[in-house]
Amino acid sequence: MMDSLNTALEMRDISKSFSGNTVLDGVTLTAHAGEVLALVGENGAGKSTLMKILSGVHQPDSGEILIDGQKLNFSRPGDALSAGIAMIYQELSLAPHLTVAENIFLGREPLRVAPLGMINDNDLYQRSQSLLEDYGFRINAKTRLGRLSAADRQLVEITRAIVEAKRLIVMDEPTSSLTSHEVEELFRLIKDLKKRGLAIIYISHRLEELDDIADRMTILRDGKVVYSGKWGEISTDELIRHMAGRELKEIFPPRKASIGGVKLKVENLCRSPKFEKISFEVRAGEVVGLAGLAGAGRTELVEAIFGAQPLESGRVVLNGVEVDHFETNQSVKRGLSLLTEDRKRTGLCLNLPLAANITLANVRALVSGGVLRKRKETAAANELINKLGIRPPSPSKPVGRLSGGNQQKSLLGRWLFAKSDIFLLDEPTRGVDVAARSEIYRKINELAESGAAVLIVSSDLPELLGMADRILVMRRGHLVAELNAGQTTQEEILKYAAVEES
Amino acid sequence: MPDWIKRFLPFISLILLCALIPLCEYFVLGQDPKFLTLGNLAAIARQTAVITIMAMGMTMVMVAGGIDLSVGSIVGLAGVVGALSMTHGSSVFTGILIFIAVGAACGLINGAAISSLRIPPFIVTLGAMGIYRGLGLYISDGNAIVGLPQGFGYFTEKSFFGFIPLPLLIVLAIALIVHFALGSTRLGRYCYAMGSNIEAARYAGILVSRYQITYYTILGALSGLAGAIESARTVTGQPNAGEGYELNVIAAVVIGGGSLSGGQGTVVGTIIGSLIMGVLANGGNLLQISPFIQKIVIGAVIVLAVTFDEFQRRTFESKEA
Repeated sequence: MMDSLNTALEMRDISKSFSGNTVLDGVTLTAHAGEVLALVGENGAGKSTLMKILSGVHQPDSGEILIDGQKLNFSRPGDALSAGIAMIYQELSLAPHLTVAENIFLGREPLRVAPLGMINDNDLYQRSQSLLEDYGFRINAKTRLGRLSAADRQLVEITRAIVEAKRLIVMDEPTSSLTSHEVEELFRLIKDLKKRGLAIIYISHRLEELDDIADRMTILRDGKVVYSGKWGEISTDELIRHMAGRELKEIFPPRKASIGGVKLKVENLCRSPKFEKISFEVRAGEVVGLAGLAGAGRTELVEAIFGAQPLESGRVVLNGVEVDHFETNQSVKRGLSLLTEDRKRTGLCLNLPLAANITLANVRALVSGGVLRKRKETAAANELINKLGIRPPSPSKPVGRLSGGNQQKSLLGRWLFAKSDIFLLDEPTRGVDVAARSEIYRKINELAESGAAVLIVSSDLPELLGMADRILVMRRGHLVAELNAGQTTQEEILKYAAVEES
Repeated sequence: MPDWIKRFLPFISLILLCALIPLCEYFVLGQDPKFLTLGNLAAIARQTAVITIMAMGMTMVMVAGGIDLSVGSIVGLAGVVGALSMTHGSSVFTGILIFIAVGAACGLINGAAISSLRIPPFIVTLGAMGIYRGLGLYISDGNAIVGLPQGFGYFTEKSFFGFIPLPLLIVLAIALIVHFALGSTRLGRYCYAMGSNIEAARYAGILVSRYQITYYTILGALSGLAGAIESARTVTGQPNAGEGYELNVIAAVVIGGGSLSGGQGTVVGTIIGSLIMGVLANGGNLLQISPFIQKIVIGAVIVLAVTFDEFQRRTFESKEA
């Protein structure tokens, strides 16, 4: 049965590591013409890296890619396209100042006088319009792209990919900004593409929507294929277990914290559509986990609590005092800190010395008589460098030259130096190796033991289960569950985070 | 490339220039070198004082990741208003304070507009450049303000020990203050932090808008002071004073190792940058090089300095990865 199908794409034994971190380990994947292959896995399982290798953005360390049985070398993004592979990315890659039609045919405009490069506008608009109508998308080809809604832009992106694709089309979370009606249109289109003999790789977290369209699936976990087979052969529960299923490692040290009074309390926080009606509290000595899929609104929520992103309505109470002015400097003054998700963009001043980065949130403490005391700064930085085990221990080295784990430790050091007692940690161990991870966990435990309140946002479920007392689950901007970490499982969390209630 | 070359390149260039110019005078023109005479060096100090004072403030603004194109216009506007105040009876001392106050007000407006409108500083101050210049011309009706008190002129002519001009002392005092502020105060630390990564600074709990406004206000005040010196030189208030100065000021910072993308720059570097341009102009005149050619040379030096800065940044980023 399987062999009678036409194999469109084969990726064999693909391995890839970034600076010593193995991201993909011998991944093999097959996509057949006329079929939808669902590629599933948790955040960080390696799906995106695998697709970036397919599109030629990254080069694999080993392994090969075969299209229609022919071995190909993709060294540039253009190579995949000329092999008939098109990608639809989560982040839109269109030009907002051009029209819809110009975007669809960008780089392949129909020409009137070819040597002069004169674009045949009539042809361009007619062809685009008829494509859009064929697919049932109600979009005017002459509209400037920037004026379309996010959903319509996604549809334009899909149209463009279909025009480009000859053999295979990769869709990475294509429905994240679409309404249910538009999702139906998209699925109709996908079925149509299948009939035309295209292979489709469909990446999604939403298991219920895969039920509608997937023919086969490949499950990735920690850079390895853990299951490959027909869709529907295993139950949803089994699938979730495959996605999550690793053992709790011994990297979570025990904690002896006594739970005290409420330190952080939020009520009815809203910023639609990112998050709505969020209420919870975190007590002294408590570590609370916040789980959810990418795009569930967790980062937006914690950044809004911290005052770094806007908030529409709701109350935040820190140590019993209500916040009246949402601004980061107010938060820091009141002992609230945020370890950001993106340490390069919103965390570190990369070309400034390690010491300056550690002391940045509390420079005030180093100033006496209006003078910033450098000796005091170096001493303070050295103390934290030793405490957190930051390597190399040189306070004057630009922090950008440190490894990911040490950069993260220096940010944690910043908030320790700022004497925070309420910590919002957004993906505290992303891109951090196991050794540094365990040191960060130990530090978090020490914080809780000393009476601090800690909220950990993480996509790493074992981490939440290993560290948190309670776990809150968010789905599409709503708080959908509060679970006792001692009594729940990864399967249960994932079920709340991913599956729509019917 | 070793770090010390980067650190000392502007200084090395300045020393080489100072050696080259008298050699050319002697061997090419066959004259006794005038370049290194006390009188000539004092003249260079006098000529570069105005630019250097403004460049001190510009160093702060540019280290913090900003830029201000309106500083030349502020010189003109402050000159007109300050001069008018003196013709209407204020003392020289009050007059000079008014110069500074007008400059500070202009800087405050720039800073407030940049931080509240969230428009790139380049655009805001490009607009401000036109507005302040137009305002100065409108108030003065395009005419120079004359009849200023004689005492005002002494402001620039006064010398100490017979050869140290007062403007040089002002430059030194301001340089010391700004150097201290950048290196040893919270204001300066935030300057580098904001220029290095303004989002990170905000996420670290720094109220970046307040500091942005402060840096632009300081630059404005220094531009007003520069306007006073400029005005005292001719004992008039010229509405066209300071035209094109913004480019020389920015060039001084950049030649001295300041980065257009922020996070880098020092007071010492900027002073050297300003002196390099002053020495180039002065040496060019002594060597009887056409002023048109001099413009070409200065332009090329600016491009070289920025190229060097970009090159440095790229090698840093590749090391970081």
